Amino acid sequence: MRLRFPVCPLPPEAERLRAEVREFVAAELAAGLWKPGGDFSSHYDADFSRRLAARGWIGMTWPRRYGGAERSMLERFVVTEELLAAGAPVAAHWIADRQSGPLLLRYGTEAQRAEFLPAIARGEIFFSIGMSEPDAGSDLAAVRTRAARVAGGWSLTGRKVWTTFAHRNHYAIVLARTGDAQGDRHAGLSQFIVDLRAPGVEVRPIVNMAGAHEFNEVVFDRVFVPESRLVGEPGAGWAQVTSELAFERSGPERYLSSLRLAEAALACAGERPSARLREALGRMAAGLLALRAMSLAIAAQLAAGEMPNLEAALVKDLGNAFEREAVAVFRALASELSPPSAEFLAALAETTLYAPSWTLRGGTREILRGLIARGLGLR
Amino acid sequence: MTAPVFAPDPLVADAAERAFADLARSYYAQSAALRTEAREALLAAVERLGFSDALPAPDGRKSWAQAAPILRAQARAAAPIDMAWLLATGDRQGAIAYDPERYDARGGPLPEREESRLALALGRLQQIGAALESALELTLGYVRDRRQFGRALAQFQAIQHSLALGAEDVAATNAAADWALACAATEGLASARLPYLLDCAALVAGRAIERVRDVCHQAHGAIGFTREYALARYSLDLLRWRDSLFALRGGELACAERLGDRALVAKSLWRALTAAMNSGGTEG
Repeated sequence: MRLRFPVCPLPPEAERLRAEVREFVAAELAAGLWKPGGDFSSHYDADFSRRLAARGWIGMTWPRRYGGAERSMLERFVVTEELLAAGAPVAAHWIADRQSGPLLLRYGTEAQRAEFLPAIARGEIFFSIGMSEPDAGSDLAAVRTRAARVAGGWSLTGRKVWTTFAHRNHYAIVLARTGDAQGDRHAGLSQFIVDLRAPGVEVRPIVNMAGAHEFNEVVFDRVFVPESRLVGEPGAGWAQVTSELAFERSGPERYLSSLRLAEAALACAGERPSARLREALGRMAAGLLALRAMSLAIAAQLAAGEMPNLEAALVKDLGNAFEREAVAVFRALASELSPPSAEFLAALAETTLYAPSWTLRGGTREILRGLIARGLGLR
Repeated sequence: MTAPVFAPDPLVADAAERAFADLARSYYAQSAALRTEAREALLAAVERLGFSDALPAPDGRKSWAQAAPILRAQARAAAPIDMAWLLATGDRQGAIAYDPERYDARGGPLPEREESRLALALGRLQQIGAALESALELTLGYVRDRRQFGRALAQFQAIQHSLALGAEDVAATNAAADWALACAATEGLASARLPYLLDCAALVAGRAIERVRDVCHQAHGAIGFTREYALARYSLDLLRWRDSLFALRGGELACAERLGDRALVAKSLWRALTAAMNSGGTEG
């Protein structure tokens, strides 16, 4: 059993950047440009993303020639955690910044990088994830969306589901079958950059339990995808997808979903906060410290070019359980607040409604625990 | 990449792992009647090997890189000598003045000096982190060997998932413990950040001990509940060290309430946390 979470404190330049981000957020709030929300994947505001881009905070670790700022992974960590802690509306650019951009940087052609990365970094184009299908959820290798070779490119046919903000984003990175599995179900998969407004693409809304339209079903009917939009090697899709996982699973969005709730409770704690409230806040701080220490260690490992997928799975599972437990804890404490503010009740309603999604998105609890068990040598 | 600020000395770790394993083996080979004397002999051996010299300097700096691997090796071997007490107080007799097979839920004695209490708390966290790791490793080995219903326990998904949870708690405990240790190693025991980090690490460890003990004992079945089997040693050590840790910090609830108060004073849980985890950059 070798799980590595070395102590990686933030360097002074990252802490200086934190002060800048806090000033930026304070100015945005003072100007009434948005209200603090709770969840990284629900609050969509393209204008906010563009203002963030203007500060150089989207694609900030990428090379300058692709529109990046060549800042460190730890500086990016600070920007993301501060925006999440503030409940900023980050959903528009989140996937492109976290996942699609780094994928193109790693596997994309020079032309793809030149076309997409600067536009992502300017906050002009946003991406969705095109992985899940009606019959391929946790069992992602069961995808049936197929891309067949045609003159000049590929013809894409199939269906993706739970495609968050496909109705507002510009592109999706679609995982599709391009060859026979030939006994290995992870073989014959490829990734494509698909224009969500291309002929043959139909985006159908799926309203979630909270009443919001975030999810979509996306149907591809013989959609022409030019050869230039194939990402990496044909047939190497599985390896490429799994290389994104450490980025996808280890970040602060996996344990900060209920921080706003705790902060809102604190803000209406009154003159004499009860011992139970003080205890709950303290226990939350302790859990948060451990998760943040682990998440920072992974950020440093990713910066060093390592792929700590096992450690990332562990942070996500632990983080999701932590953020969900907090919802129950602060709900029970509502009667100790003097009185519960409108902001607290709004945060309580949102976290309560969204909590079931936390242990599903980005890898279910069951998949994560299976991965960890494999890492422990149990399977 | 920023280099980790604190790294245990690998040479000390190697030597200590081997030595404590040998010492523990010969101790447990003695009959129960001779074990008090055997603990004296163990203490003398530890001193001969130089492991008692890695005492943290009064300001708590520098020698943690040697002390931490020694503490962890002792905990992993379940060697019946309280190295954290010895290193934090220099009190030889106190380090062997207990019966490792007894448990009384009192949290043991507390050192008089504040620096010794802080150093002991840091030592307890390292011992706990290492004992949790060992208990889990022992359990991983057991479930791979033990067969029921015609297959190894390791093949049951329920077992796999509960051990995955155990691994999460072990990792969280060590991550938090190492942050507190790194703070002491670089800034000294007088660091204003240290109490916050210690309280957090203690709460994480306390919760992990509950859950990891449960997972390990459950997977072992009755054999883990016997005195002859090694899990019992880790299990008793963990209980003893948890009680000691919370006694040093004024109790589990006091840890939590203090941390809560820090959030209330800062008017933000997040700001209090990020300030306490900031090792010297400007505060936002």
